[in-house]
Amino acid sequence: MEHNKLQGTPLPHLYLISSGQENPDDGTLLLEQLNLLPRTLSFMVQIREKQLNAKQLLTLALNARASNLPVGSLLLINERIDIALAARLDGVHLPENACFPDNLRPLASKMIFGCSVHSPESLHIAEKSGADYLLFGPVFDTPSKRKYGAPQGLEKLGQICRISTLPVFALGGITPENGEFCMAEGAYGIAGLSIFKDTSRFVDTLEQFYRIIFP
Amino acid sequence: MIPSSPFLCVITDESFCPVTIAELALKGGAAMIQLRHKSASGSQLFSWAVEIRNLCRIYRALFIINDRVDIAMASEADGVHLGQQDMPANAARTLLGKERIIGVSASSFEEALQAEKDGADYIGFGHIYPTFSKEKGFPPLGTEGLLNAAAFISLPIIAIGGVCLDNAATLISCGASGVAVISAVSRTDDPSRAASELVAAIKWKNS
Repeated sequence: MEHNKLQGTPLPHLYLISSGQENPDDGTLLLEQLNLLPRTLSFMVQIREKQLNAKQLLTLALNARASNLPVGSLLLINERIDIALAARLDGVHLPENACFPDNLRPLASKMIFGCSVHSPESLHIAEKSGADYLLFGPVFDTPSKRKYGAPQGLEKLGQICRISTLPVFALGGITPENGEFCMAEGAYGIAGLSIFKDTSRFVDTLEQFYRIIFP
Repeated sequence: MIPSSPFLCVITDESFCPVTIAELALKGGAAMIQLRHKSASGSQLFSWAVEIRNLCRIYRALFIINDRVDIAMASEADGVHLGQQDMPANAARTLLGKERIIGVSASSFEEALQAEKDGADYIGFGHIYPTFSKEKGFPPLGTEGLLNAAAFISLPIIAIGGVCLDNAATLISCGASGVAVISAVSRTDDPSRAASELVAAIKWKNS
């Protein structure tokens, strides 16, 4: 079930989401992060830059694709399967208000489709629609999601992980300190955005997460 | 294919239900519907697109989606309309193939030429007249701009921007293959009738 259809290996367990602050004129944070990724590990990477127009997104996606990702890593983009196809990315991550995987699967049978879920109901919809993995959050308090209300908490993460037949990545306010609690609740992996913005601590943070996932 | 006689393209208005506008416009004889909604979610766009696509099939009209090549592919629309900030036409062509229609917005002669080079199937040229439907940072191109573009560009040109019943026929005389409207259909008491009057105006001029 936890299969990466592209390479026949399990999905990577660490999931990097782009900052949402890429500036089309320099657009370097993501590329800097990609270049810093430790070569010995593999990663899920999602380009999620809602402030960019499609032209800018395509440029960023092509640049990201041209960067040398560690073996086994998967490069995805938020929602836009057209950009994913044009830049030969590995998959698409679908927010809850996007199309479902079964709407898009005919366009790209080999792509990875991930779905954001926030409840058991949306989990069932995503599973039925043929998602390959799920993102659940925000587990903890995080500045980028504060406007949507209180975090979901560990208990709900555990509930989702127990009923899910798909790999669940925990997202939202996850740090090397609290990450092990997510894994203990049955998470497949850890996803982050804000915590990866500080490139001076980027590699350190990734390695700490890695030790939590594979203690 | 793009109609060979003068035609009306109706672009959906963000203030109204796109499916309702599309159906009324089709009843009035619009030959092309463009779904344009910058703030709607992907799932919302997709469900509108499927409904409008079905309507367009019934009325034998073309269904085009603005910007979202992904939604156009998923909903099997007839094509996309791309602005200068959207995916470049040549990239979209690789995804959509030769059969699907790609329109490109051009607000200058240079952009229109580039669109032709990039393999567009038609050019949305404007704004010709002042318009309040969209914020514009430059003066209208006027009929001189349209005449000039039509003289040098072989692709069908759809004139847009401030099109109304009084000027639609003039735009066809200036070389436009069709005219595109938003508010001239949506912001009327009877959108279907507004569409049919526009269609009559441009067809009459041509006959």
